[in-house]
Amino acid sequence: MSSAPLTQSGPEPPGGGSAVSAPAELRVEGLRVQIEGKRILEGVDLRVPEGEVHALMGPNGSGKSTLAYTLMGHPKYEVTGGSVSFAGEDLLALTPDRRARLGLFLSFQQPTAIPGVTTVNFLRAALRSQGRELPARDFIRRLGEEMEALRMDPSFRSRYINDGFSGGERKRAEILQLAMLEPRLAILDEPDSGLDVDALRTVAEGVRRVMERNAGRMGVLLITHYYRILEHLTPDRVHVMSEGRVVASGGSELAHRIEAEGYEPFLDAFSSAGREV
Amino acid sequence: MTDVTVAEGAIARRRLGTLVDGGPAWLGDRRTAAWDAFTALPLPSSSRDEDWRRTDISKLRLGDFAPAGPAAEALVAAARARHARALPQAALVLCGPDGAVSVDHADSLLAQGVIVCPLQEAALRHPEVVRRGLSAVGVDGAYFAALWNALWAGGAFVYVPRGVEAMTPVWVSHLAPEAGAVSFPSTVVVVDERASLTLVEDRVGPGDAAPRLSVGVTALRVADQSRVDDIPVQQLPPGTWHFATRRAALAAGSRYRLLGATLGAGLEKAYWDVLLEGAGAEADVLAVCHARGRQHLDLQSLQLHRARDTRSNLLYKVAARDLARSVYSGLIDVERDAVHADGYVLNRNLLLSRGAVASGVPRLEIKANDVRCGHGNSVGHVDDEERFYLMARGVPAEEAERLIVTGFFADVIDRVSQESLREWLTALLAVEIAGAPAAEPEAATEDAAEPGGRGS
Repeated sequence: MSSAPLTQSGPEPPGGGSAVSAPAELRVEGLRVQIEGKRILEGVDLRVPEGEVHALMGPNGSGKSTLAYTLMGHPKYEVTGGSVSFAGEDLLALTPDRRARLGLFLSFQQPTAIPGVTTVNFLRAALRSQGRELPARDFIRRLGEEMEALRMDPSFRSRYINDGFSGGERKRAEILQLAMLEPRLAILDEPDSGLDVDALRTVAEGVRRVMERNAGRMGVLLITHYYRILEHLTPDRVHVMSEGRVVASGGSELAHRIEAEGYEPFLDAFSSAGREV
Repeated sequence: MTDVTVAEGAIARRRLGTLVDGGPAWLGDRRTAAWDAFTALPLPSSSRDEDWRRTDISKLRLGDFAPAGPAAEALVAAARARHARALPQAALVLCGPDGAVSVDHADSLLAQGVIVCPLQEAALRHPEVVRRGLSAVGVDGAYFAALWNALWAGGAFVYVPRGVEAMTPVWVSHLAPEAGAVSFPSTVVVVDERASLTLVEDRVGPGDAAPRLSVGVTALRVADQSRVDDIPVQQLPPGTWHFATRRAALAAGSRYRLLGATLGAGLEKAYWDVLLEGAGAEADVLAVCHARGRQHLDLQSLQLHRARDTRSNLLYKVAARDLARSVYSGLIDVERDAVHADGYVLNRNLLLSRGAVASGVPRLEIKANDVRCGHGNSVGHVDDEERFYLMARGVPAEEAERLIVTGFFADVIDRVSQESLREWLTALLAVEIAGAPAAEPEAATEDAAEPGGRGS
């Protein structure tokens, strides 16, 4: 196996656009990934059913971001084994844009600036490519509402996407995109890092609002180090990653234990397999 | 020695004689001196001439090109449509390849005392001002400037008197000649003290790829405390050999802003010279270039600081794809008296295909003390992370790249202050970036007349 294709011919897989039938469940089985020859994921198993909120925790370097990027199809990450399906599709065979059109969304930990591309143009291109273009007036009104809810200054509309944004502004801009695109599964890679208490609440509420608007159909895979954001977005399940594997899974109480005891007990006790705790 | 003196085409002594006989004596002398200089010079050579080191025109046969006839109606209509879409309020000067000139929508300017008329007419009626305008362009210097000085016909002339802020811009359309012909597009502008003008110069032709030759000069004289916005757009047909000199001479306290877009022609060698002659003169040169197919586009810029406290800034952004080639060289020359000069030149290149080539050589030559000058140059590809970020939002790879390239040009285009003009330029660029298939060079262009070939 190899890294995700960046160009693709052939018909759009079912599920592109909005007419979707299969449940938006993510299934990751035995996923192995390397980057520039270095093995990072050593057989990840994970299942996120439609509409559930799963938290993915674990120490730095355990492979959480690698998993997120691999699911979205970053070409740098080479899949050497295992399988991933989403909404019944073989995700690994699809280009990143097709994954997005299937309903997958990644909130980047460090979003890339694209000089010269305004937030408005960027979002319109994204919506258009997903077959969900809005009339200009509706789009602008909707964008204005979402920005207000995220406490973003209206000037961000015409600013180049992420260009010169502060860390907190970038996080909000990611959630703004989430709100505008309304995916079926949102992978949020540390949406809370570097945020103060108020900004954290704004971001978490932003995610909640999209979930509620979609009547529980949007799933979330939330990568975080901190318990704090889980007070706003209560997870159905919590998974702990270590050294390229999911080593423990449990209910939301697992996050409490991590908050109290740290990762150490899990790493020692469950170094071999993803064990239920 | 150039052998064209015996040619039957447009570039011949006989032609010079007609032009000399039909104009004022001072201009006839100027044409004759230019012709003598031109015929004494050899065709520029990439092995002999530093300016032409990376642009090979050895296949150019000047004698093959016929005199241009009147512009086709469709082309006139296309040129008018561009003006109507981009800047309808501007006075329109349509310059046919044969020297015919028409002026429209100039009433409000004429009421202000602004002169907008054919250059040949101005040479008869306003000889002193035309001579001032032409004085920045020597007759005996460079090969193609000498040729232009000898054989130009038609063209546009604009004069803004002292203290007048031209109420509307002036839009000059230079129409490309028909297949196999040569034109000499000409614009001469004189803006007097404390006056201002916005000039758009649109070079446009039909879409076919037949060989053509265009040898042009734009001369601007900007007097004390005046302001000029100069917006050249070059979208000549892909088979065109285009040689152009653009020279602005800036007096004390004047402010010149050039914002250019280079999109067309098969082979171009353009000189953009800014002469900062008076204390405190300022110039900003911002330009975009999109090259594709087999285009070979060569820009050579000069920021010449002759007086104290002068400031110049140049930003040239190039995107090249397919087998296109961009060649840029830029010199900031600070003369001894230009103390406290402030000059910067920056060339950024984005390569979109393996076969595309871009080179940039910015240089400084500083003979004054206490100056602040700098230069920069970069060549890069579309950033993988930017492309991935867009694709992660559902945007297909090709469209992601188009957005990124459009964004690359945005910091120049965004500085066009007139909204309709900005939108028009954005649309022109979008067509180039989307790569609507350019006409393939005709089979006949295997012969010597094909510009932009790779010397195969």
